[in-house]
Amino acid sequence: MVDPAARRAFVACSRDNAVAAVDLDRCAVVWRAEVGREPIPVVLDPPTRRLFTADARSDTVTVLDADTGGRVAQLRVGSYPAGLGHDVARRRVFTGDTASGTVTAVDADSLEVVGTVRAQLGAGSIAVDAGTGRAYCVNFMSASLTVFDSGTLRPLGRIPVHDGPCKAVLAPDGRALYVTESLPGTVARVALPGGRVVGRSPAERAPVGLHASDDGRWLYVCNRGAGTVGVHDARTGGEQHRITVGNGPGDCAVDPATGRLLVSNAGSGTLTVVDRPWLPGGRPAAAHPAEGRPLPGFSLPDAFTGRVRTSREWAEKKYVIDFFASW
Amino acid sequence: MINVWESVDATQEVRDFCRVWGIEGTVLLDETGEYAARLGITGVPTNVLVGADGVVRRVGATTPTELHAAVDALLDED
Repeated sequence: MVDPAARRAFVACSRDNAVAAVDLDRCAVVWRAEVGREPIPVVLDPPTRRLFTADARSDTVTVLDADTGGRVAQLRVGSYPAGLGHDVARRRVFTGDTASGTVTAVDADSLEVVGTVRAQLGAGSIAVDAGTGRAYCVNFMSASLTVFDSGTLRPLGRIPVHDGPCKAVLAPDGRALYVTESLPGTVARVALPGGRVVGRSPAERAPVGLHASDDGRWLYVCNRGAGTVGVHDARTGGEQHRITVGNGPGDCAVDPATGRLLVSNAGSGTLTVVDRPWLPGGRPAAAHPAEGRPLPGFSLPDAFTGRVRTSREWAEKKYVIDFFASW
Repeated sequence: MINVWESVDATQEVRDFCRVWGIEGTVLLDETGEYAARLGITGVPTNVLVGADGVVRRVGATTPTELHAAVDALLDED
């Protein structure tokens, strides 16, 4: 979340149960505040200068003073809130409650829960079209988006997408919605207001986070499975080039004052800052450097028994190692 | 499976994760991420396919289609 006027970026540090404020010009942390367990997204409400986090494992929203990091309130919402949406004009903050399959609506001024919307299992990221008052909630485990009215909270429909939708963002002109589909590794383009998928483009690997540039020309796609950001032409959907960032990038945003791209890397616990991300870089390697080479030997503890297992146990066998994280 | 970059209470996190998602089989902990770094792993999930000669055949293959094709190719090797 970028606050260009205050020259700050706000980053949810999910594994540390904290939010950090970063000075955009000095690239330095200026404050750090404890919130609930496993905060995932952050939104800023400019009129009140309040930050809202969705604390997935606490079933809460923590509200902070954006200037000091001081805690304002903590509210109970639905089960496992993993995404947020924000309608500044209607004074609403929404949580996508993954485990309960609901959206909880919070009044941004009174900080009271004002209602819930029935979504589907895996409810998470929410994009809000302030012009039309329509909101779009991705449902990770249901391969769909739930559409609802952000003012009345009335459900308006369902848009089917591919498996594992993680984030939805609106095009600046409000005529399209982009959705990362993490399991097939694609980015869908949904035409608005009709709500029909009109295009789909491949991303590199396990795309989760997404940002559309203010001029509507570029989509920045965080490939959590590859440690890269794909720069896609928003008009055609085609990937133009890739930027190597940190491990397991989860989401990104652009500082509109400088055009710099900020990428939060969940695996590395770092923030990557990319100057002029739209400029093409070097071509990616055709094959991973480990391919064709002997697997380095390992000696690692078993998560259930504690016994150390070594690669020698799998000698002369064909096998697959899946590298994963719980977050 | 090898768990990486967990950073906080990795053993419990992995056990909970496997229970929730019904994962069975061998699950190892690379808490420091050192082994992943040696292999050049930069994201999750990532699959690494290894041949009977111990040589890495493929890194990536995360979608079901890619994984099935890569496993088929590995099994077809003499």
